Formats: sequence, C-alpha cells, structure tokens
Amino acid sequence: MFSRMAPRGRSGLGRSLAELGLLLLAILVLLDGTVLSLVAAISSESDTHEAKPVTHKNTSKKSFPVLGIKYDDVSVPFEIALWVLLASLMKLGFHLIPRLSNVVPESCLLISVGLLVGGILKLARDEVPPVLSDRIFFLCLLPPIILDAGYFLPIRPFVENIGTILMFAVVGTLWNAFFVGGLIYAVCQIAQDQYSDIDLSTIGILPCLLFGSIISAVDPVAVLAVFEEIHINELLHILVFGESLLNDAVTVVLYHLFEEFMDSGSVSAVDAILGLVSFLVVALGGVLVGAFYGILAAFTSRFTSHTRVIEPLFVFLYSYMAYLSAEVFHLSGIMSLIACGAVMRPYVEANISHKSHTTIKYFLKMWSSVSETLIFIFLGVATVEGEHHWDWIFLTSTVILCLVARIIGVVGLTFIINKFRIVKLTTKDQFIIAYGGLRGAIAFSLGFILHSEHKRIFLTAIITIIFFTVFVQGMTIKPLVELLAVKKKNEAKRSINEEIHTRFLDHLLTGIEDICGHYGHHHWKNKLNRFNKKYVKKILIAGDRSKEPHLIAFYHKLEMKNAIQMVESGGGSKLNSSFPSTVSMQNIQPKIQSPPSARPSERVLPQLTKGREEEIRQILRTNLQKTRQRLQSYNRHTLVVDPDEEGFDDLFLKKRRRMELDWKLKQMTNYLSVPRPQGSPTMSRARIASDSQAYVKPGAENVPTIQIDLASPQSPDSVRLLDEVVQDQGLTMSLPSSSRGAYKTSGKDDGRDQQTLLRCLSDPGPDPDDDDDEDYDDDEPVPT
Amino acid sequence: MGSRASTLLREEEIEEIKKETGFSHSQITRLYSRFTSLDKGENGTLSREDFQRIPELAINPLGDRIINAFFPEGEDQVNFKGFMRTLAHFRPIEDNEKNKNLPATEPLNSRTNKLLFAFRLYDLDRDDKISRDELLQVLEKVDVEQKMSIRFLH
Repeated sequence: MFSRMAPRGRSGLGRSLAELGLLLLAILVLLDGTVLSLVAAISSESDTHEAKPVTHKNTSKKSFPVLGIKYDDVSVPFEIALWVLLASLMKLGFHLIPRLSNVVPESCLLISVGLLVGGILKLARDEVPPVLSDRIFFLCLLPPIILDAGYFLPIRPFVENIGTILMFAVVGTLWNAFFVGGLIYAVCQIAQDQYSDIDLSTIGILPCLLFGSIISAVDPVAVLAVFEEIHINELLHILVFGESLLNDAVTVVLYHLFEEFMDSGSVSAVDAILGLVSFLVVALGGVLVGAFYGILAAFTSRFTSHTRVIEPLFVFLYSYMAYLSAEVFHLSGIMSLIACGAVMRPYVEANISHKSHTTIKYFLKMWSSVSETLIFIFLGVATVEGEHHWDWIFLTSTVILCLVARIIGVVGLTFIINKFRIVKLTTKDQFIIAYGGLRGAIAFSLGFILHSEHKRIFLTAIITIIFFTVFVQGMTIKPLVELLAVKKKNEAKRSINEEIHTRFLDHLLTGIEDICGHYGHHHWKNKLNRFNKKYVKKILIAGDRSKEPHLIAFYHKLEMKNAIQMVESGGGSKLNSSFPSTVSMQNIQPKIQSPPSARPSERVLPQLTKGREEEIRQILRTNLQKTRQRLQSYNRHTLVVDPDEEGFDDLFLKKRRRMELDWKLKQMTNYLSVPRPQGSPTMSRARIASDSQAYVKPGAENVPTIQIDLASPQSPDSVRLLDEVVQDQGLTMSLPSSSRGAYKTSGKDDGRDQQTLLRCLSDPGPDPDDDDDEDYDDDEPVPT
Repeated sequence: MGSRASTLLREEEIEEIKKETGFSHSQITRLYSRFTSLDKGENGTLSREDFQRIPELAINPLGDRIINAFFPEGEDQVNFKGFMRTLAHFRPIEDNEKNKNLPATEPLNSRTNKLLFAFRLYDLDRDDKISRDELLQVLEKVDVEQKMSIRFLH
C-alpha cells in the first residue's frame, strides 16, 4: 500500500533501519551471552549451595523473602530457551546485512558465533557444558531437518536419478571410508613427528578405518545449508543432497561394524558378509519402517475432517515415531524419516485442510531452520570446549586425503555411471558434486560418542575437516559456481503446457517400451502409477476429490459471499466486471472431432476445454480469497514472504484489494508500471527463488498466456474475444499483438499476469469439507 | 526380406539397418526376435492387430497413436525395416556424430527428427498443423491426475 515514492525512499530508510536493527541485535546478543554466562555461573554456584542448607536450620528465622532468586527449577528450560533465542536472533541479524550473507554462507557465520559464545562461556565459567551431546543432537536437532527435507523432496528428479544417487551414496562412501582409513593408517605408521605428544603409530588399523567411516559421510545439514544459497540446477542439487541422505545407512552400518570389530579384536570373513547383509537390512528396513508409518499417517488423515486442528500434529508425530522406531532397531533413522515424509505427502495433502497444510509447511521450515542454526552454533561452542590434540601431520594428511578421496571417488564413479545415463554428467557437474561433499555435525556427533583411546585426536581432526569444508568450500562454492557458469535453478514454474507434454511423453515412452518388450524405467513407473490410482488412493484419500461441478458450485457460493460483503462494507466501487455472471456448462462443451482410428470418447460429462478452464481460473482468481499454493521448494531459509497475511480481516483485505484494483486500473490507462510490492531485494529475490511458482520471465513465448485486461469496457465479452482468438491460432492462446497495444503494460505487468495466471492454474480447487474457508492464504502481492 | 520371417535376418540387411538407424548388431537381433514374436501371421510384416495384441499398449491412453506412428501414410502393414526406422527415433543422441555415411540427411535420432516424430503424434489428421481440437484431444487422453489443477479435465 505504499505509494510509488516508497521504493526510492525506502532504501535510505532501510539502510538506517538495518543499521539500527544491527545495533539492537548486537546489544541483544551481548545481553544474551552475558545472561548465559551468568546463569552458568549461578548454576555452578548453586551446586555448592546445596550442601549448606542443612547447617542453616538452626540459625535465626529469616524474614519472608519478597523477592528471591530460585534458578534451579527453571534452569534447564531457561537455558534451552536462551540458546534458541540466541540462534534466532543471529539468524535475524544475518539477514539484515545482505552484503554479508551474500559472501559468507550462513553456516560459517553461525559457527563463528558459536565460537564466540563458547569463548564467552569458557571465560565465565572456565568450562563449557557439553551442549552438543549426541542424544540432543540425534533425537531433537536432526529429525526436523530431515523431515523437512523428506517431506518436500522433489520425488520425480529423485526417482529418476536414484541409480546415480545410490551409486554415489553407497559405493562412494565405502570408497571414501576405506581410502581415508587405510591411508591414514599408512601415514600414521610412517610418520615420525617429534613435536607430537602421542605416538601415531599406536593407532591400529581398525580405529583408523572407524575414523575413516565417520569422516567419509557427506552431511545433509551442511549440504542443505550451503546449497540452498547457491541455487544450482535441480539435477546437481538432488544428486548431492540425495547422496547425503542415503549415505546415512552406509555410515551407520560401517560405524557399528568397526566398533564391534574393535571390541571383539578380530575380523573374519563371516563378519564381513554379515556386515553386507546388515547394510541391506539397515537400509531397506529403514525405508520399510518409514513407509509403514507414512501409510498410517495417510490413513489417519483420511478421518480428520472433523478435527482439523490437530492434523499437523499427526504428520509430525508419525514421522517422529518412524524415526525413533528405526533408531530402536539400529536401522537408518534418516532413511526412515525420508521414506515416511515422501510416502505420506501426496495422500495427506489431498486430505487435510488448507490451513493445516500451511501449518505443516511453516512449522517444518521453522523447526528445521532453528535446528540447523542451533547445530552450527553448538558446533562452534563444542570446538572451544575440551582439549585438542594438535597433530599437524595427522590433520593435514586427513584433510588432503579426504579431498583426494572425494575427487577420485566422484570421477571414477561418474565414469561408470555415465555409461548408463542418458543425460551424462559433465566435468563441471562432477566438480560441483565433488566440491559439494561437505562434512558436518553428524560426523562430529559420531566422533563424540567414540570410546576409543584416541578420541581426542580423532575429534580434533573431525572438527578440522568440518571447519575446512564448511568454511573454505562453503564460501568458495558460490563464486566457483558463477565462474564455471554452472546452470542455475530454473526459476519458472512448470507450466501446464510442460506438464501435459511431460505426461504425454511418459505415456509414449511407456508404449514404446512395451512394444520393444523392454521392462524399463517407464514400464515400472507406469505400473506403480496405475496401482496407485486404482487401489491405494481409494483407501487413503477421503471422499471424492472435486470434479468440476463442485468447483462451479463453489464459485457461485463465493460470488454470493462477495456480493453480500460488498453490500455490507458500504457499497462497492466498480465490481470487477471481467467475469461472466453465468458460466453454464453447456457453453463449454468442446466439439470433439474423432480422428480416423481413435477410439470414441467415452466421457459423458461435459468437458471443460483448456481455454475455458483458464478463463474460469482467472475469474476465480480475481474473486477467490484463498489459494492453495504448492510450494515445490526445498529451500528452507526463504519461505514466501507474504505481506498480505498479516491482515486476517476479510473486509479489510477486500477493501484493500478493491483500492488496489482501482489504482491498477488507473495505471493501466496511464501506461505506468506497477511497482514491486514491498520487501527488500533479498526478500523478493528469496521469494522468487523459493517459490517456484512465483516468477515467470516476462516474454516467455512458449507459455500460453491469457492477458486479461480489467479496465477494458469490452471485459464482459473478453471471454468471447479470447475464444475467437484461440480458435484462430491453434496452439497459441495469447491475445494478438494488435490488441496488445491497447492494453499495453510494462513487462512487469506481463510477468505478474503470467504469474497469477500460472498460479491460478495450479489452484487445486477447494476442499469440499473445508468449512473454514473464511480465511485465505493469499500470497499474491497484487491481484490482477 | 526372407521368405520365412521366422528365420535369420540376412547379414546385408542387418548392415543396412545399422547404417540407417544406428542400432548395434545385438540390438537389431534382439528387436528382430521381438518383431517375429509379435508377428503372429508369420508373413514378415506387422499389422495393427499385432500391435493391439500387446496388453499394455491397449491400456495406454496413447496406444492407438503410437501404433499409427509405425504405419506410414495409407499402409496397413509394416515390415521390419519400417519397424526399426520408427524405433530409431528413440535412440539417445550421440554428441559427436561419427556417422559419416549420411552426411546429407540427419540421423534418425537427431533432435529435430525426434521432435518431428512427437509432432506427428499430436497431429492426427497429418496436415502438418496441430489444431486446437487435436490438442484438446491430447489433453483428454493424457491422464494428468497428479497435478490437481487438471482435475477439470475429468
């Protein structure tokens, strides 16, 4: 609602605001840190006070304390809350300085903050409480991140590349582990360091292999944190990220295997085979457990139509149970969580209400964001704590070996994989994959719970590797991506056109595979889809999802509501006249002309042609107050910023929209451009980046567009106009350029029209049982 | 072609097909055995009924179009060469074309030819244009249930 003056003034205002905010933040953080150290000091004092009270009983009666400090009872939650607050404030701070967050990835900043806070704590108390205990990490901090990743996992690219991902995850991790473990052992044997205080050659081969297995796993948290900011193309993202998720199984197995061997002291061939079997059990078992809980969740969500409020809770609880159950049996909890999220998502989303969907999305993003921040801060704190064994030879050789192992592993595997891939991985891709192999907190936690006598030196080495990968590789990967001109993420949402053609090609390829008698990828996918449609969806999805009469009925209902509201709010300004008052089903039956050898159409229902569908969509967009936005992003830091979401007042928003409509009317006739909505460049960039539906490059010719002009007096007939145009030009459905002159708008307007068109094309239609459709989730900055 | 379709394919023919389509020797042999197993009438050609006998193709929404694509204009039988020629469109594109035998024409699996093939699948009446109705028919045929927005088309 700011005038057009605002953008120019806001930058100046914004800068001072940012500085002010920073100052405030710095003060808050300092306060927080001092409070933390204070409470640390108090709690250490209170330990000593416990012994005293007994002797005080016989002293004189104290007067009633009006104000007292009783810290012990609330100490644990208090500290936890303080830590989380610190983490959140840090996050806030980083985004106030866009320059900094461009250069340095957030993870580095967070680790530095952790180091700082750890230093403060150490000074205050002379020892740091072990905050990154493995229990907290594995049970509380890791699951939200993994669930967030699994729930929003883009299934199609993941499954298409599953072979590659598995190769990297399993074979690559194994290779890394053995290479690093073995060579470190060799280095230890050969090295003779006079300055070291421990004798390296005492480290046996098994501890070295154990160390190798810990250090070899690519960490999903770190990968997520860094890759989110560089926006590389989907293929590379899913390759590295998928690998980091799936190698958890390998890590778990190797870790337990080597630990067992270390305890038992000897290795036999039977043990090796058992290890292999155990790997399969761990991986598949994890997936099965997750899928089981996912189906349960989907089934439960079928019956929640009367208790909408606790729907998100089911999602979270079932997922957490999946994780915990897997951990009970020493199966891979991460894979279980991923499987659970991925399995339940399509069914749950079909069942739950719109608000629950939003809640789930926001909660997941929030928790995972906080978790990740906490993890990095704790990593920094834990570094400060404890003694470190600085053995230069060990450390440098570890770092070098890890890098070399990764590079050789990726190159070698790609060579083999490319023989089976249709879309080959180029050298650039390989470089990014190798460079993106970041280690993180999982490695640290695993090292933390080691029982080896060389724990200290291992831990130091692990921390060094983590720091190296996160700082050096994390910071340099963005400029390298720019330098190498790696393909970036495709910002445009997949249009309906692309979707149709993709499905078309899927069916075509399946058919060809059947002709050749080849049981390939498409064949099985097709079978799965058909099975899914026929049986599974009937069981797991409640009721009858909408068919078009329902949508039209809903549209009418909404129209009525609009009309009533307009009257109540004191006479409307001009009603948006671009919709026809009746959209009768009879009008929109297409002429079906049967091709020579095609089967006659079996449908008896009147069909909505594509053009009509888009028109109806557009109409609904202008009046519908809620959209169900399918966010296909796996981007955690940048949810769509929704300026409209503050006001839940129907009337208020309606008024606003009306005023904006009028305003837009005025500009369109004056050929002025619509200013971008409020929000810093980062925010809007972030919004665009995260919201794959948000932005279409204006002028994308292959997207069928309909330019709807609101101001035109012809608007009631605009439906017919489009119809004529559409008939003429076959494939293209945009208005001819001659009439575009009359409705000339700037490129931004085109973009926005296309944006809203596309967004409304993804509108799923309302939930039939959704009785709380008073609210809406209008993410659109400016309505059409 | 040989008089008995169920016997071996002659070497010259294999070479010819290899040159034209780019399939390897083993691929051609395998596809030939598939061809003969589909060819119930044993006359060395496939008719439309032979294709329709494939069960998965019957439930494929595009099944009839695919079958049509094998048969050139007006004909009802397709021999092995024609069969291979259509299938050759689906080979992966090779980046460096080592095919020096066809300098004039593009190989069958080039991008352009693939696109042409796909276009012809849309264009049912073969007038080299995709009319609005043809596109609508594609939309009706292709079951895009996943994306909720296309629920309209049911």
